[in-house]
Amino acid sequence: MKKITALRSLFLLVLLGALLFRLPLLNLRPMHNDEANQAVKFRDLLEKGEYRYDINDHHGPSLYYLTLPFIWISSGTTFASTSEIALRLVLAIFGAGLILLLLLLKGGLNLEAIVFAGLFTAISPAMVYYSRYYIQEMLLVFFILGVLAAGWRYTQNPSPGWAAATGFFVGMAYATKETCIIAFGAIIGALILVWVSQSKRKDKKTSPDLPSIKHLLLFLGTVILASFLLYSSFFQNIRGILDSVLAFGAYFSRAGEAGIHSHPWYYYLKMLAFSKYGTGPVWSEFLILALGFLGGIAAFCAKSKAGFNFLFIRFISFYTLLTVVIFSLIPYKTPWNLLPFYIGFIVLAGHGAVFIIRAYKNLYFRCAIVLVLALGLLHLGVQSYQANFKFYANPNNPYVYAHTSNDFFRLIKRIHELTPYHPDHNQMLIKVITNSDETWPLPWYLRSFGQVGYWQEVDAAGELSDVPIIISSLDKSKQIQSFLQNNYLSEHYGLRPEVLLALHIKKDLWENFMQKQAVR
Amino acid sequence: MIKKFSLFALTFLTLLLFIQGIGINSQDTKKGEVFLKLKLPKPLFVGTPRNIRSPNLEKITGKMRKPFLVPIGTKILSLGKPVSASDMEPIIGEVEFVTDREKSGEEGYYVEFGPGVQYVQIDLKKTYFLHAILIWHYHSQARVYRDVIVQVSDDPDFITNVKTIFNNDHDNSAGLGIGKEKEYIEVNEGRLINPRGVKARYVRLYSRGNTSNDMNHYVEVEVYGTSKK
Repeated sequence: MKKITALRSLFLLVLLGALLFRLPLLNLRPMHNDEANQAVKFRDLLEKGEYRYDINDHHGPSLYYLTLPFIWISSGTTFASTSEIALRLVLAIFGAGLILLLLLLKGGLNLEAIVFAGLFTAISPAMVYYSRYYIQEMLLVFFILGVLAAGWRYTQNPSPGWAAATGFFVGMAYATKETCIIAFGAIIGALILVWVSQSKRKDKKTSPDLPSIKHLLLFLGTVILASFLLYSSFFQNIRGILDSVLAFGAYFSRAGEAGIHSHPWYYYLKMLAFSKYGTGPVWSEFLILALGFLGGIAAFCAKSKAGFNFLFIRFISFYTLLTVVIFSLIPYKTPWNLLPFYIGFIVLAGHGAVFIIRAYKNLYFRCAIVLVLALGLLHLGVQSYQANFKFYANPNNPYVYAHTSNDFFRLIKRIHELTPYHPDHNQMLIKVITNSDETWPLPWYLRSFGQVGYWQEVDAAGELSDVPIIISSLDKSKQIQSFLQNNYLSEHYGLRPEVLLALHIKKDLWENFMQKQAVR
Repeated sequence: MIKKFSLFALTFLTLLLFIQGIGINSQDTKKGEVFLKLKLPKPLFVGTPRNIRSPNLEKITGKMRKPFLVPIGTKILSLGKPVSASDMEPIIGEVEFVTDREKSGEEGYYVEFGPGVQYVQIDLKKTYFLHAILIWHYHSQARVYRDVIVQVSDDPDFITNVKTIFNNDHDNSAGLGIGKEKEYIEVNEGRLINPRGVKARYVRLYSRGNTSNDMNHYVEVEVYGTSKK
């Protein structure tokens, strides 16, 4: 009884720790190109109540609809009043929510393993980093773990409630990101592999029964209800349901033609095992990988005992293996895509940690193992702090991918400094003339300005000689300068590593600003 | 009955639109003026941009610097000369790197100082007529260093007889006065500054972070001059 109370208390501490890593300083890191894209896509839903699924980009609708209540509570109904904190809070809550979902794995894992898995989820640098990132990935992981957990509960208690819950999580994962199809494929594959491996054994008592037709219909009903409601924008855009299926064509094509995001097959595993860039520190989540591997192997060497089910752990092992293989074979790779398989590693690592502690009967050996694990956890915690609060936008951090430089904040600060000195204030005209991949996250940061236009060619941007502020790509500066002559002052700011933006400020506005600065 | 209801509904809708219209106008109006609402293009949505981690040694300008004329007898004065700095314990490297003539852009050839305004100072050991100063802050990546200020003096403490020969601190954020020179992008050929034959023994170079991070870097500084005018 005392042990259970201690484990429960520990679990609550783990949850608190997860929140401590996820909630503070959510506005510390500049918005990534993709985060800003998602935020601006959310704008129409917030301000007009409109959402249209985009077959080519932005992924599923769940992120936007789940963001709504957070914004209503924190910022109101205007996009200009929203903040990075309010947007990222959605993912931070769902990221910590993973730990609560782990509780549903009870019986599949014993309580100690659940606490360990929770601890790894709470402090893993990758899990924390993308829990503070306004893209779909953490939501997807949450719903995938929901499928695994509710599905597991259904096998233990085949009730209509768990059938519906499993369907709900499947539907929500589908409404989150197209790559859910990989996880679904891996889940089906893992079920088949467990069934095949079990069918060869004489002892088949532990195999769960097949679901009843009624439960199957209930499951399918909730899948359809959850996903169709969101894709159809609550029946405002029925076409969205068809588009969600047609989108797979675009995504399959993108996965094959990886282009600038093509990386070798070992990209994810190397990133997790060992990364070192420039003068930055060494990054490694090897502890989780190693314990996950051990936990998976252990499931094939032992029978169910002490509160865990070896069939469940085998299932998670197969799921993890299949998702690792599929994601690694797809040439298109971005670091956040590792999360759907990494959650499998984390669950297995929980089991692996308990397995290795119990494997040694000798007290000294056991203490030594516990000490090594504690040091490993401390190392993970330190890395998590560094990744999220120190190297949060530094390219030497492996989870930082084409990220906006901190210097970009200075560009925005300068525009806000100048705003009071223009008679139109935040209605002053701002012309952004940049290459397509150098525009973002400007639309997010300039959301409070009423007159901002975006062009990709100088000639298309019209008259420039009287525009108070022009932001341009560096390669367009020369052409712009010929229009501006000596009437503008130019400053340079970092957008991303190797990518600079020029800020051209009309001289009368600049002089007005400088005069007031001198008076102060 | 239906006709009455339709009329009521129509009136209600018209009123609603009118009130909403007033609302929009009043929101946009300020002291009897209205903001000119231009129809401006929206930003195009694009995918995740390229992740760049490897150094880029290509030049940004695309053109080599034009040959620079100096008086006959001009020689390098800074090679191996003592260097001091606002922070004598750099984060990376040694202050001596500034005058060791190693100009490689790779790791291990630059000295890194912390954020804020920082300087390095070269003691030429003698007073010379200076004809060229070349600065390499960090040229493995396209970046701009802020508030680049170059001063020369006969006073090691830079209190008396201080001459500023380059200053691109246009907003006086370094606190040494407003400069008229423009910002520039670091390239592997370095930045050439013309001291116009100024006479000095000490050369001090300031900076205040850069567009990639808050740190201050020097790969090399070369000072050229003559002992006679």
